[in-house]
Amino acid sequence: MADYHKMWESLGMDLDLHDQLCEVLPQAFGDVYLSQENRPEGMDYFNFVVSEIHGVRPAELIEHQKKGGKVFGTFCVYVPDEIVFAADAIATGLCGGSQFWVPGGEKVLPKNTCPLIKASVGARLDRTCPFFRIADMYVGETTCDGKKKAWEILAEDVPVHVMDLPQMKRAKDIKAWAEEIEDFKNVVEQFTGNEITVEKLAASIRLINDKRKALARLYDLRKNEKLPISGKDALLVSQIAFYDDPVRFTNMTNELCDELDKRVKDGVSVFPEGTKRIMLTGTPLSIPNWKLHNLVETSGGVVVCEEMCTGTRYFENLVDETKNTMEEQIMALSERYMHINCACFTPNTGRIDDILRLAKEYQVDGIIDVNLKFCGLYDTEGYHVEKAMKEAGIPVLGIETDYTDSDAQQLRTRISAFIEMLNN
Amino acid sequence: MNEKKEIQTYVLFPNHDNGMRLHRELKKLGVRATIAPTPRVVSTCCGISLLIKKEDVETVEKCVTEHQIQILKIVDIEKNINPNRDRYC
Repeated sequence: MADYHKMWESLGMDLDLHDQLCEVLPQAFGDVYLSQENRPEGMDYFNFVVSEIHGVRPAELIEHQKKGGKVFGTFCVYVPDEIVFAADAIATGLCGGSQFWVPGGEKVLPKNTCPLIKASVGARLDRTCPFFRIADMYVGETTCDGKKKAWEILAEDVPVHVMDLPQMKRAKDIKAWAEEIEDFKNVVEQFTGNEITVEKLAASIRLINDKRKALARLYDLRKNEKLPISGKDALLVSQIAFYDDPVRFTNMTNELCDELDKRVKDGVSVFPEGTKRIMLTGTPLSIPNWKLHNLVETSGGVVVCEEMCTGTRYFENLVDETKNTMEEQIMALSERYMHINCACFTPNTGRIDDILRLAKEYQVDGIIDVNLKFCGLYDTEGYHVEKAMKEAGIPVLGIETDYTDSDAQQLRTRISAFIEMLNN
Repeated sequence: MNEKKEIQTYVLFPNHDNGMRLHRELKKLGVRATIAPTPRVVSTCCGISLLIKKEDVETVEKCVTEHQIQILKIVDIEKNINPNRDRYC
């Protein structure tokens, strides 16, 4: 029971309010995670990270700052971490996955803003997230209107750099994104005082690719008929990827995968044969948003894949490691990141292709298309997702939800009925 | 009819270093200990604890002494884990 109060106090956090979050986390984690039978022992590392989530990693980031290093807080999978790490800085995810932070966001944002944005802004303004307190600079992007306006509010408080993400995928858009990455590189170099050389960027590209490979390995194991790990646990690993030290995270994920390989070899499954395999598609599930996975996995289903930013969008496709000039490296980064299929693009048929491909790869029985309330982009794109799945004969259930518990029972009923239908 | 309450045993630590050390040593002995957030009913601090089996308490105590690992206490609490509670955070 480490006492981090001194550290939190020095970060200017609201200790009383933050304590309310500490109060609910152990029970929620126990209900969702410790209730599972036969969890892989390798999940202990990830239990550790969650248990100390506002302690150990923030302390490491502060140590880095004491040595003159900078910390960049990021919100989106389009921001290239490679640039940050190449300047001997650290990129970290920020808080945004709990209802706890939403009321703070609603003080300044319209209520009909998506919970992810409201929670992020609330976590900063209410001073209840150490990552938000520590980050020297936030890096935003133009992936939706709500975020664009949120950056302006956050910028009153902390330096914010916004990357202008193109909304189409023509050759000129990939070039435009490369220019944005080049600008970002200049900003990072100036802010840190560290030059990003070809060698340093090459090392950083390998570092982040290694993390992607470890996550891809984990996800590949979920393609097995006998599942060595639950969807809840895989989600937790994906969520922690945004915060943890990349080298340590890669090592621990690979160690977990070694154990899962053995389980596959031994025919061990954490779910009974015939459990319906569900893929979640849509908006991200930031830590500690575990609601949907828990509902599915306590209603006769198992989540085998997330076509989400906290899922395949984060790790699929590697950056080409063979480039030898800065210009080529930046273009390689642009090409990799522009392969991510987010609903902010038009047209976005690549995402439909992804979902159809993943449904086959993961032997999916049904899809739940998830939309965080007030996310107009994913909600609208749900039309095409549902249409394409129906044409392909893949059952699909569209769900809109937020971070509150109030719809949990209703969702449980709908998800149970959906899974029951898959059984017939 | 009185239903028998299920009990869970937790080891609490002054900091995570000691918790991780004990976890490593127990692993070497083949004793399963699950890293978990410290239940609120036993402490108001955030941080890790180890969830162990009641029958392993003696082995754990021996391991703590042998390796000079600092712990705060070993406590039994009534099991309060319910995946259908639907109270998230």
